[in-house]
Amino acid sequence: MTLSVWRYAHLALALFSFIFLALASVTGVILAVDAVRERASPYRADNIENISLTETLTVLRKAYPEITEISVDHNQHIVLQGVDANGDDVEAYINPRTGALSGKPEKKSDFIQWITALHRSLFLHEAGRFFIGLNAFLLMLISVSGIALIIQRQEGIRRFFSRIVKDDFAQYYHVVTGRLALIPIFIIALSGTYLSLVRFNLLPQPKINHEVETVASDSPSEKNIADFAVFSNTMLSEVRKIEFPFSDDPDEYYVLKLKDREMVIDQFTGNVLSNVQYPFTALLETLSLDLHTGRTSIVWAIVLAIASLNILFFIYSGFSMTVRRIATRITNKHKPHESEFILLVGSENGSTLRFANAIHQQLLANKRTSFLAELNNYAVFPKAKHLVVFTSTHGLGHAPSNANKLVSLLSKNTQTQSVYTSVVGFGSHAYPDFCGYARTVDEVLARQPWAEPLVTLHTVDDKSPLQFTQWVKAWNEKTGLSLTTAPALYNGVPEGLRKMHVLEKTMVASNDETFLLTLKPDRKTVFTSGDLLAIYPDNNGKERLYSISKSKGNIQLAVKLHPSGSGSRYLYDLNPGAVISARIVHNKGFHFPQPAPAVALIANGTGIAPFLGMVEQNKKKTEVHLYCGFRRRTELIQRYEGFADEYMQKQHLKTFNIAFSQEENHCYVMDLIKRDAKFFVNLLAVGGVVMICGSLAMLQDVEATLDQICIKRFGAGIATYKSSGQVVADCY
Amino acid sequence: MKLLMKLCLVCVITCFSFHASAQKTKYKCLLQMSNYMGEGAYVVVSLINPKGEYEKTLYVMGDDKEWYNSLKEWYKVYSKRPTDISAITGASVTGGDRSVTTFEIDNTKVNKGYKLRFETAVEDQQYHVDDVEIALTDEGLAARTEGKGYIRYVKLSKSE
Repeated sequence: MTLSVWRYAHLALALFSFIFLALASVTGVILAVDAVRERASPYRADNIENISLTETLTVLRKAYPEITEISVDHNQHIVLQGVDANGDDVEAYINPRTGALSGKPEKKSDFIQWITALHRSLFLHEAGRFFIGLNAFLLMLISVSGIALIIQRQEGIRRFFSRIVKDDFAQYYHVVTGRLALIPIFIIALSGTYLSLVRFNLLPQPKINHEVETVASDSPSEKNIADFAVFSNTMLSEVRKIEFPFSDDPDEYYVLKLKDREMVIDQFTGNVLSNVQYPFTALLETLSLDLHTGRTSIVWAIVLAIASLNILFFIYSGFSMTVRRIATRITNKHKPHESEFILLVGSENGSTLRFANAIHQQLLANKRTSFLAELNNYAVFPKAKHLVVFTSTHGLGHAPSNANKLVSLLSKNTQTQSVYTSVVGFGSHAYPDFCGYARTVDEVLARQPWAEPLVTLHTVDDKSPLQFTQWVKAWNEKTGLSLTTAPALYNGVPEGLRKMHVLEKTMVASNDETFLLTLKPDRKTVFTSGDLLAIYPDNNGKERLYSISKSKGNIQLAVKLHPSGSGSRYLYDLNPGAVISARIVHNKGFHFPQPAPAVALIANGTGIAPFLGMVEQNKKKTEVHLYCGFRRRTELIQRYEGFADEYMQKQHLKTFNIAFSQEENHCYVMDLIKRDAKFFVNLLAVGGVVMICGSLAMLQDVEATLDQICIKRFGAGIATYKSSGQVVADCY
Repeated sequence: MKLLMKLCLVCVITCFSFHASAQKTKYKCLLQMSNYMGEGAYVVVSLINPKGEYEKTLYVMGDDKEWYNSLKEWYKVYSKRPTDISAITGASVTGGDRSVTTFEIDNTKVNKGYKLRFETAVEDQQYHVDDVEIALTDEGLAARTEGKGYIRYVKLSKSE
C-alpha cells in the first residue's frame, strides 16, 4: 500500500505514543469527572461579581478577630484562614455575605492525588513529566495530521463536514468522531504542551517583584478598612487571594492578588504601594490550566472527558484499521517480466486487495505465473497474456492513492504484445459515483492499441462475494480457467453472526424433497423478505446462502434436500429447539418494491420462499400476482395453496397461478407467462415490477419468454427494464 | 448511669487538656518564600533539643508522603518512629508565596538551649537541612530570621 505522508506520520506518531496516550486518557477521564464533581460543590458562593471586597471584609473582620488570608478558588469557594472569636484556628469555606462557615475545605482524596501524579509524571518524576509533555506535543501533531487526513479524504476544507459513507465500523467512527473531537483534543494537547514548557522553564517567567519603600509612617492612625478605596473598587469575583498583614509592623502589608495583577496595600492608609501586572505568560498559563483541567466550567470538563474517551477509541479503531491493512500485504513468487497473468490493484484500505489476492493465490496453485501489484506499479510486462485490474474508487470517482499515476504510466509504457484485459470495479452504491474510477480505467484501457478486452466491466457493490463470482464465472468462461466460483472463498471473516433458534421444520415426503424451516432470530437482527441467510455448515468458512422470507417476525426458508448437499443436509438435521450461528446478507436489489402499481412474482421450486413473506407483508395491498412452477401437487404445495387462498381473501394477493410440469396441466411457468402475455406487457408499460426467484435455468427461460413478448409488443426486449430495476432476479 | 460515666470522662479529659495547654503557648509563624524556580517546597518545622536531636515535629508543609524522604535528616528520625502528623500537615509552598501556620511550644523549653529548625527540599533541587534555625529564646522568637535557601524569612508571633 502506498501510504500518504499524512497517514504515515499519523500512524508513526500514534505508534510511538499510544501507551502514554492511553494512560493519560484514562487518568484524564477520571480527573475530568472529578472536576465536574468539584464544580458541582454545594459550597460555592453565588453572585460574587456583585460583592465588593469592602462589603465582605467588613463582615468578616467582625466575626474573626484575626484573619491570615482569604482566597477565592476557581470553583468560587471562599476560603478563610484565621482565628475565630474563641481563639481557635479556622480554615473553612465561608459565606462572603454573612461570614458564616459553610464547610470544611476538602483535600483531594488519595486516589485523585495518585491519579493526578500518574497523569502528570507517571510516578517517574522529572523523566515522567518529560515523557508526558513530549506526548502532549505528539498528540498535537497527531491531531494536525488527522485534520489533514480528513481534509484529504473529504477533498477539501469546505467538504470537511459533509457526509461520510459508512463501510467499516472502525474506519467510519474513527473519521466521524475524529471530525468532532479533534478540536477539543487539539486544545488539550496544546494546553498540555504549554504547561509542560512552563514546567521545564522553557518559557520566560518573570517573577513578580514588588518594590516597596517602607515609609516610616509617623502617625499609624489606623484608618478603617471600610474606607480603603481599593477594596471598595474591587469585586470578589476578580480576587484570587488577599494576604493580611502578619503583624502591626509598618513593613507588613495587605497583598491583594487579582486575576491579572498583584497589589501591595499599606495596612494603615490603604494606599496602593505597588501594583504589578502579571506577565502575559502567567495569564496564558492560567488559561492553559483552565482549558486543560476543565476546572472553570462543567460543560468544558464534560467535553474533556468525552474527548479523552475518544482518544482511547481512536487508539483502538486506528490500530484495528492498521492491522487490517497489514493483513492484506502483497507477496509475489514470480517476477513481473516473467509472468503471464498480471493482476493490478487500486485500493485505498486493502479490502479490494483481498479479492485480487484470492485470484492470485488460485492462479499460483494452478501453476500459472501470476504477478500481483498496485496499479501505480504498471510497467511493460513482456510475457503478459492477461491483465486484470481490480480497483476501488476514492472520493468522487477518483483514483485510490495507489492508482493515481496509472493514466500517465499507461501513456508511457506500451505493451509490445497484445494482452487480454478485464476490469473489476469495487465500490458502494452508497457513494454518488459508483465505481467511477473503474469505469475510467476500463475506458482508458480499451483505447490502448495492445489491449483486447476479454470480459466487460463488472462491478461489485459493498464487497459482495456473490457479485464478484459473476465476474469469476465470466472470466473462467473466456480464459478456460476453473477458478472457484463459490462466494465463500472471496468472503472475509464472516461478521455479524447471530444465534438463531429453530422453531419448526417440515419433513420431506417420498414425492417431494423440499422442506420448510422456520428460525427465530434474536431481536436485533434486521431483515426482510428477499434477504439471504448465510449458514456455515462445515465450520470451514464455506458459506451457503438461502433466500428467506419474513413471516410473523421469523425467518422462513424453503430448502430442497440434495443427497450430497452439505448445506441442505445440515439444515434438515436440525430439530426444533436447536440453535445455529448464521447471518443475514442484505439483498437490497430483491426487496419488495415500494411503491409499485403492480408486481408479478415468478418462482419455481424453493424459489417461492421469499415471495410468501412478501405477500404476507403486503399490508398496503399492492396488486400482486404469483406465478409458480412445481413438478406435482404434494402436501407442501397444498400448504402453499392454503396460504394463497388466505391472502387472496385478505387482498394481499390478486391471483395465484400454478404450473405442474409432471401432472395436471403439464406446463411450465413460462407457459403461464405466454398465456398472460398481455398482462405482462401492460405491467411493464405502467412501471410494474417482475421479480424472479428459483433456478438459473428457469430464469433464462423466463427472461427469454419475457423478451419475446416485449419485442413483439414494443419492438425492444427487457434489457432496459432490467437496468431500471423493473425486472429483478435472485436465482441460483 | 452510662451517661454519668461519659460525663465524668469528658470532665476528666477537659481538665487534663486545660492543664496541659496552660503550659504551652501558641505561636503564629509567617514563612515567606524567596522567588526560586521550580515545584512547591516541602518544609518541616522541628523542635531540636540542646543535644542537637530531633525532639518533636511541629509542622509539615507538603502532603504527599512520597516526597518526605527528600527531607533527609528529619526523615531519618521520622521513618524510625513515624508519628501521626496528619493534624499538623499543610500544603507545600511555592516560590514567592507565604504561608502562615500556628503551632504550640511548651513554655518550659524556652530559653533552655532548644532550637526551631526549618528544613526544606524541592523536587530535583538542593536540600537545605537548616534553611532557617531560630534559637528558642525570647529574643529569637521576637526577631525576623532570614533564610539561607528557599525561605526568605520567618517571623513568629505569640498568638493570644
